[in-house]
Amino acid sequence: MTRYFKKPNSASLAFMVAGAVWFVVGAVYGMFSAIHLVSPEFLPEVAWLVFGRERPVHVNTMLYGFVGTMLIGCGLYCVPMLLRTRLWSEPLAWGGFVLWNLVILSGPLGFAFGYTQGREYSEYTWSADMLLMVAVTLIIINLIMTIVHRTEQQLYVSIWYFVAAFLWTAGNYPIGNVMWHPATGAMPGLIDSIFLWFWGHNLPGLFITPLATGAAYFVIPRVARTPLNSHTLSLLGFWLLVALYTHIGGHHVLQSPIPNWLKAVSIVDSVAMVVPVTIVVLNLWLTARQRGAVVWGDPAARLVMAGIVWYLITCIQGPVQSLPYLQRVTHFNNWTVGHAHIAMLGFGGYIALGAMYHILPMVTGRSVYSARLINLQFGLITFGLTGFFLVLTAAGLVQGTSWNNGETVYRVLPQLRPFMVSRAALGIFILTASIIGLINLIMTITHGRKLAPEELDQAEEGL
Amino acid sequence: MKMTPALLIVGALMVFWASSFIIVGLPSLTMKDEPSDIWRQLTPDEQAGLRLYVQNGCSYCHSRYIRINDWDIGAERIAQSGDYVGQEPAILGTERTGPDLSQEGGEHPDDWHISHFNNPRFTSPISLMPSWKFLGAEKIRQLTAFVQAMGGKMADSRMKRQNHYKRAAIAAFEAGPDGNITWLHSQVPEVWRKMPNPYPATEASLLRGKRIYQDFCINCHGPIGDGQGMAALQTYPPPLNFTTLRRHLVENKYIGGIFYYQIMNGVTGTAMPYFKKHLESEKIWDLSNYLGVTFLGFTDANTDPRGIDAAYEEEWKNNYQAPELPGQPGK
Ligand code: HEC
Ligand code: HEC
Ligand code: HEM
Ligand code: HEM
Repeated sequence: MTRYFKKPNSASLAFMVAGAVWFVVGAVYGMFSAIHLVSPEFLPEVAWLVFGRERPVHVNTMLYGFVGTMLIGCGLYCVPMLLRTRLWSEPLAWGGFVLWNLVILSGPLGFAFGYTQGREYSEYTWSADMLLMVAVTLIIINLIMTIVHRTEQQLYVSIWYFVAAFLWTAGNYPIGNVMWHPATGAMPGLIDSIFLWFWGHNLPGLFITPLATGAAYFVIPRVARTPLNSHTLSLLGFWLLVALYTHIGGHHVLQSPIPNWLKAVSIVDSVAMVVPVTIVVLNLWLTARQRGAVVWGDPAARLVMAGIVWYLITCIQGPVQSLPYLQRVTHFNNWTVGHAHIAMLGFGGYIALGAMYHILPMVTGRSVYSARLINLQFGLITFGLTGFFLVLTAAGLVQGTSWNNGETVYRVLPQLRPFMVSRAALGIFILTASIIGLINLIMTITHGRKLAPEELDQAEEGL
Repeated sequence: MKMTPALLIVGALMVFWASSFIIVGLPSLTMKDEPSDIWRQLTPDEQAGLRLYVQNGCSYCHSRYIRINDWDIGAERIAQSGDYVGQEPAILGTERTGPDLSQEGGEHPDDWHISHFNNPRFTSPISLMPSWKFLGAEKIRQLTAFVQAMGGKMADSRMKRQNHYKRAAIAAFEAGPDGNITWLHSQVPEVWRKMPNPYPATEASLLRGKRIYQDFCINCHGPIGDGQGMAALQTYPPPLNFTTLRRHLVENKYIGGIFYYQIMNGVTGTAMPYFKKHLESEKIWDLSNYLGVTFLGFTDANTDPRGIDAAYEEEWKNNYQAPELPGQPGK
């Protein structure tokens, strides 16, 4: 048993498997939430499955559990690999694994019974917050010690992003979660919304985004078998991301009575986010230039490339919906839910899955059980998510424009119905895809064809 | 520029903390937490309700601030920063699956909320809100206390009005069905009482009225208009039995104006909400005809006094007979 905890890359694999499991769990809770928005009387007596309690389970399990966990798994493989060394301490990474997953488990076990701080994206209770901080600290120590023991002098971009994601989270998380107020995890009064959306925005922006960007920077050049397009662009993208992204949480409460200068900063920097995003997308796109057939033909890299496309769409939509005049219509309704899904599943989720499949042969020593299942999963998610985006955006516009014209929320409820039914139907595709992914992953570990040592070396050197 | 470990770690942290200082440090130093004119402290019961609000995720469907472009409940008061002083947490919310609640206090009397929390479809037939019956009576009471405090002193003054008319409505209800209706109608301004429905009760209009009745009224006043909808379990006075109105037409001929006024304005103090935000004139007149024809067997539509017919109206003659009353020949 203890041998297993020392086996190279075992923690990385564990994170990836856990991510795939959480994807299924999160999708089940997503389905229940979607059904309840069609039929609120579905299972009415099950207290732990009422909308207000299951929704945060869905959201947190997806963000921290699926996307976050799977990307951490990828990072734990990439960083030592790029530094041509081993992870400094495999058991320490396992320690992080256990704590991290306990935190996520506290979602379904806690929120469903009212143990929650109730602030969106900061729901975990104080004790879970503490576990999460310890987990992050363990990972930081491990990564830094790995850098110290590296044999490769150069630090590749992916490493910056992976390491920085945890450094930033160690600062972001306790502030946004107001951890010095253990009972409520909140500040009194209006200022709480500024703390809340500091983390609420930095969870996607300075945790998920850098992890996913790092993974994309890892996969694309390897599959394309070319060096990265431009080092300068990488640098610019990285520094602008942290300089700008940190500022923009205010755009979530743009129409509330927070100070005007804060709104101005949030709007300006939200629009400015176009720059780092374009830089990253261009840099990766140009890397894959003229090798499109190879990159799009590889099942894993296809997921990553499609993730970059979703990133671009998300980050065109993002600045647009940060403009106060437009937000009068897009705020408070399903428009934002559409944005959240293409951002988190489209950008974060696609890249997490793609990177996971890319890395899997190296950490298991087996080839992926079925490329066709990856393709099937890709197809199902793409159909489901494209549908989500169209349906939710349309629903949001119906709500937003009706309200703006003076119709009440209640009056517009019947208009929502067809959209909510479609969303629930589309959710089945994503749920199916998550199950197929989990099966493929487990079959790879148990039944995948064992790779010969030279095949493995070749895989590690790039395809 | 070469990325060294030192540059990576120190640089990434420095830029991050500098940015963070601007976005959370400066507001912490400069934002003042001064109560607004409508702010007041929450009582322990209301505080317990706030905890329940947070624990049960009400904030995923309800926001807590009114913007300049809002029309729905609460639109009389654009949110100010001082409205939230001391509340921990005051979750503003990002979704309006349900309406904004920042000025919910006093919109309805307590019995409406208790019925609504037990099953929102009792009071609001097409609601998407979950039932909270499983919380039990005590917690539903605390939640009610909290929502009734939303809006601070403005909510308090609305609550004062609710409680005042609640006493009057109960007294009237306990005086028996006829006394109750006499009281109800005495609350309607004179000009509305003698006003017939100006629009014809065509088949299309009755169908429209039916659709609205089913989406808005049916679980209070009941499918047959006897006031025995599910909400009757918890509201007091219970929803009105429309059939008794048959013997209370004004001058044995008018009811349309009373219907219009009561639906538009609600009966403050009772569970009967005002519908003027939800329904515009066309829909209320249609409802008025629907209630009359379906539950009273009579409508005063298109009877005198009347003005010029509206351009869209077809030729329509009112053939409904006013009811025969004991000792008084019908018309
Ligand atoms: C699934 C989303 C959802 C959740 C969760 C939810 N609500 Fe609602 N709520 C609604 C909808 C939709 C309406 C409008 C229809 C109605 O009156 O029921 C509403 C209406 C209300 C109203 C009446 C507003 C009015 O005056 O017309 C109150 C009060 C209310 N909710 C309180 C709460 C509280 C307290 C909670 C948490 C215990 C909660 N809601 C949870 C969706 C939700
Ligand atoms: C939450 C329950 C509830 C709902 C929903 C409701 N009502 Fe009422 N309604 C009442 C109650 C309670 C009364 C007053 C009973 C009393 O004081 O005896 C009342 C009274 C009335 C009256 C007054 C009649 C009179 O002669 O003065 C009319 C008209 C009326 N309702 C119509 C409607 C219509 C139309 C709708 C739907 C658009 C509706 N109500 C929805 C509960 C409700
Ligand atoms: C099975 C497929 C899915 C279904 C049926 C589903 C359904 C839902 C529903 C019903 C909501 C609540 C929306 C509301 O309050 O109106 C929601 C919110 C959310 N979901 Fe999903 N979801 C699915 C998959 C995912 C995935 C894979 C992710 C991320 C990787 C995700 C991330 C989110 C986020 C971030 C929110 C919060 C949105 C916001 O507050 O704006 N969901 N989802
Ligand atoms: C240029 C980049 C981006 C900008 C300017 C931007 C802007 C915004 C804005 C203005 C909102 C609030 C909308 C509203 O409530 O009305 C929002 C919500 C959201 N964004 Fe983005 N976004 C960007 C990129 C991303 C990315 C990359 C992710 C995920 C990795 C993401 C995840 C989310 C989520 C989950 C929400 C929903 C929050 C909620 O629950 O209300 N965004 N975004």
